[in-house]
Order: sequence, then C-alpha cells, then structure tokens
Amino acid sequence: MRRRVIPYFLLGPGTAWLLIFFVVPLYYMGKLSLESGFVGSLEFNWHWDNYKEALSEYDTQFIRSFVYAGAATLLSLIIAYPLAYAIAFKAGRWRNLMLFAVVAPFFTTYLIRTIAWETILSDESPVTEFLHAIGLVPSGHILATSAAVIAGLTYNFLPFMILPIYASLERIDVRLIEASKDLYASAAQSFWRVTLPLSAPGVVAGTLLTFIPAAGDYVNAQFLGGAGNRMIGNVIQSLYLSQADYPSAAALSFVLMALIMIAVVVYIRFAGSEALMGEENAP
Amino acid sequence: MASEKDPRRITALLAVLVAAAALALGLAACGGGGGGGGIEGGGEKEAEKVKLEGKASGDLTISNWPLYIDKKTVPDFEKASGVKVKYIEDINSNEEFFNKMQPLLQQGESGGRSIFVLADYQVVKMHKLGYLQEFDKAGLPEVEKNLVSSLQHPAFDPNRDWTVPWQSGMTGVIVNKDTAPDVRSICDLFDPKYKGKVDFLNEVRETVPLVMKCEGVNPDEATEADWMKAIEKIKGAAESGQVRRFTGNDYARDLTSGDAVAVIGWSGDAVQLQADNPNLEWRMPTEGCMLWSEDMVIPTGAPNPTAAEAFMNFVYEPEVQANIAEYVNYVTPVEGVKQVLAKREPELAKNPLIFPSASFTKNCSATPVFKSEEEELKVIKAFDAVLNG
Repeated sequence: MRRRVIPYFLLGPGTAWLLIFFVVPLYYMGKLSLESGFVGSLEFNWHWDNYKEALSEYDTQFIRSFVYAGAATLLSLIIAYPLAYAIAFKAGRWRNLMLFAVVAPFFTTYLIRTIAWETILSDESPVTEFLHAIGLVPSGHILATSAAVIAGLTYNFLPFMILPIYASLERIDVRLIEASKDLYASAAQSFWRVTLPLSAPGVVAGTLLTFIPAAGDYVNAQFLGGAGNRMIGNVIQSLYLSQADYPSAAALSFVLMALIMIAVVVYIRFAGSEALMGEENAP
Repeated sequence: MASEKDPRRITALLAVLVAAAALALGLAACGGGGGGGGIEGGGEKEAEKVKLEGKASGDLTISNWPLYIDKKTVPDFEKASGVKVKYIEDINSNEEFFNKMQPLLQQGESGGRSIFVLADYQVVKMHKLGYLQEFDKAGLPEVEKNLVSSLQHPAFDPNRDWTVPWQSGMTGVIVNKDTAPDVRSICDLFDPKYKGKVDFLNEVRETVPLVMKCEGVNPDEATEADWMKAIEKIKGAAESGQVRRFTGNDYARDLTSGDAVAVIGWSGDAVQLQADNPNLEWRMPTEGCMLWSEDMVIPTGAPNPTAAEAFMNFVYEPEVQANIAEYVNYVTPVEGVKQVLAKREPELAKNPLIFPSASFTKNCSATPVFKSEEEELKVIKAFDAVLNG
C-alpha cells in the first residue's frame, strides 16, 4: 500500500507548481478571454467574438510570427548541427570549453544581448557596410527589417538547439559507426543511415525548444524590427498595455497557444514521437 | 521493441482537458453574473479632497518619468522639510502606467504612491474615473504665486484644483544638420530622399496631429475622418519603408548612430542630445508644433497628501525650479526661473526651446481632446494597427 502512495508524493511538488503557476492562471486567462466591455466594467458573457476578431484582425501578425520562428528554427538547425557534431566527436579536450562557450552568452541578460545586436546591425556598422558592398543588402540597412528580427531570434535561441543535439550525439555508441564502416558504408552513408537517425531525438527536441518560444517572442521584433515587422507577441503587449483591451489580448494568447499546439502535434506525428521519446524502430 | 503509443490516448486526454476547462468556465459564468457593476460613468463621483495635517513629515513616494528631475531637488526637499522621499522613475508611457495602476486605483489604492506625473489627457481621464484628489490650496502658496499665466486656466481644470503642471514641452522635428539639412517641416519627413532614415513617435496624440498639420488640417477642428486620413498617410509611409520605425525616447539611439537622420521628437531631448552631438537640432516645423504639459496629481488613497503638497509647493520656488530646468531642458511652468538662470547660465536663459516666446509657438496646437470615448478608441485602434504593421 505504502509503496503505491510514494510515487504520488514525489509528483506532489511538480503538480502543485503546475497547478498554481499554469492551470490557475490559464483558467483566469480563459475566463478573461470570454469577457466583454472596458477595464473596470468587464463582464463575463461568453463573448466568443474576441476570438473571431483575434483571428480576422491579426492574421498577418500570426503568419509573420510563424514564418519568422520557422526561419529562425531552420537557421539554428543549420548552424547547430555541425557545431554539436564537432563538439561531440572532434573537440577532444576542448569539449568542455566549447560547451561553456555555447552557454556563456546566458551570463548576460536576454535584453542586453538583443540590444547589442542593434549596434552590430546598425546602418553604419562594419557588418552592414560589408554586406552592402558585396551586394547582399542592396538597401543598405539590415536593422529594422525582417532579416534583423530573424537573425536576433536565431542568435537568442541557438543554444536551445545546440544542447539537445549535442546530448543525443554524445550518447551515440561509436561502435555502431565503426560497425557501419566495417560493412563498407562510406562516410556519407554511415552519417545518413547511422548518426543522423540516432541523433533525431535531439533534433526534434531542439526544433521544438527553438520554435515554440520564438513564435511567441516580442523582444527581438521590438528592438531589431521596424515598422511592419511586429510579431504576435507585440500585438498582445500593445493590446494589454496601450489599448487596455484585456479580453482580446487573452483571446489572442489562447489562439497563439492553440496554433503552436497544433503545429507541434502535426510535427510530432510526422517526425515521429518515437524519435522524440528516443525509441528507434528497427528498419 | 517499439512500444505502440496509442494516438487515441493523447486525443482522449486532450478531450478531458478541454471538457474540464469548459466546465470551469461554465461555473465562472454562473458565479460572475452579479459582481460586474464597475465604475463606468464615474464622472459624477464626488472627488476626494486633500486634508492637510499640520507640518509635512513622514514618508513620501513619487512616480515620475526617467531623467525628469535633477540630482539636487529631492535631497534639498528632504533637508528642508524633514520628509523622507522615495522617488521612483517607473513611468515610461502614459497608457502603460495607467493600465498597470488601474486595478489598484479602482480599489481606492495608489500603490503607496502620493504623486504621479502624467500627461494632461491622461489625468483628465483619471479625474473622470474619480481617481484623483482635489488639493487644499492652503498647502500650495508658491504654486498660486509662481505658476505662469498661460497655464493657469486650462479648459480641463479651470482653477487648477487637482493638477499642478510639472513641465511642458514641444513636439517637432529633430534633424541631423549634416545628413538632413533641408528638413524643415513635417511634410519634409515624407520626402523619399530620406527613405528608411525617418522615425515617428509612437504617441497617437502627437504624431497623428502633426501629420494632419502637414495635410493642412487644424487638429483642434479635426473630424474622425481627418484622423483616419492622417493615419492612412502614416500607414502608407510605414509600408513603403519611408518610416524606419516608431519609437519613444529611443529615437535618440537612432539619431546618434546615424540610423535615422530626421525624427519626430521632443524639445527637451534635443537640448540634451545636442550636448553629445552638436549636429543634432530641434526645429520648429513650418506647420507648427504640438504643445503638451505633464501634471503632478495626487491619486485617491495616496498616503501622506500633506507631504505631497509640500513637495509640489517646494518645486515651485524659482530657485529650486531653476535646478530642474537646468537639468531637464523642457519648458518650465514657473515664473521667475528665467531671471534666476540669466544669472547662473545666460545661454540657457536665452534658449527658445526652454523659454519659448508667444510668437515662436504661434502655430502650435495643444494636445487634442477626442469628442467621445468611441472616437478615441477607434483612433487608437487604427494607429496601433499601423504600429503593429
């Protein structure tokens, strides 16, 4: 009897945390999203129009958020995979130092790191002038464009992509790769058929950890974006704080949550939840 | 070896969660019916009045905007009065500050603060909702004596019963004389020559009326259609890339880095920016500027209103106000400061941005007042839609 109860006790702190800081606020947000009227005289009356409005008025910003987050996730993956691979297999005694370098930016706050990019991408910065000179940036400015927002998102969420990929690569039994070579696989073949599938859980986890927060981010668009680069997070912020339209903001937050959930479920169905759970199907 | 994960189980779990949420909301609907009520129509509410209690003492908490006071005034006041001051610079936007405070004010609390400094239009809104206290003028003799005549009888508070001006200022254009020498009007900001190098303020009550002036519309007589037309013009400029971004004070960064060459900006900022970069200059647009004032108010439920009035009175002594004017470089509402500064720092006393003459501001407009709350909401919504692109 006692043995059966203990696991529930162990779950206690986590459950309490989830209840107090997630379920309860979620409940109030849900209630708020169905209210109508002005602050001070809000009334709960199943006002579903908030949702209709959220979708019809801010579809541009929704699409923009997902495009930016998707681009940032893809870029992160392209940058992170080779890096994680190098750290896991080629770094030797530099491994810990390189891992530290990946995490080091976290010692500065998110806000400061983002604002630093204002200087890096500023119109008269060497970076912008170089890219302009070689013809990559014909307009001569990067800051206050979508490119800057995507660059900022990529930079800020890159470690969340590197670390899970590194963790799954590092776990790979090198004897499997040796075995594939014994069976006359070329280097490329053994990568595509052994290393990559075995690291898939890391890739799936990394893309989720990058995409989900990036889609709801508003700091990068605020500082690095210009007119016409605002994301859905900025809209929610302005609805809350400048228009004091709490119900619409709450509805918008729920729509964002639902859309992300749908995207994640679809993604996991395609990428395979086995990959996420770290279970590999034999071919 | 792979365990069969049943997708139906996940779906079932989701269904349970959704059902639970719906049930909870249903309960809320039953319970929440009566409590709505609210404060709508609070205009008739009798305003609370400050009761002076002898000599000022104890603690005083003040909320103001960043960099809006010199370093000496608060310690000087503490020494002179014996009041201990907690001076917080936590106001960055009229709307945001109000919306953060509103839940407290609604319950008759002020978050421990006894003075707020907010724009005219914002304090008018708060007064309508019954969130402000009326002064006891006995505590404000210096204000009575030294408030400049042009600010003594504004339409929203004809006898200054619940507002005392903190500073005033002008909104016009700030240009870099090297890179945008020929920008002299709001209309010039739409010149394609400066594409991507122009910032507009994210303040609906300043940017939109200025653009109206460019269109030849007097903001005081503007109809809703005029507002929408001006917003449409701003939208076009944002979409074409003419306007780089919409900013608050942070246009300062764009101007100093060269990312922007001409912006819609505030007079006091320009005087401060000039100290770093002499090429930056505030210009009175040929169409005229926007004039605004920010007021000190005492919210209802404010602790120690006696000390609050003592502070307001203190900053209206010309010697004290001169310290503030010297530091913030906005237009001072206190008579006699010019004479004090003429002795201390004659350059500042001659600066038309700090002591503008009537002829200098003859084409300027005051912050517009919307005809109805519906109109205000519609305009703000349309402008926010432009900001959010």
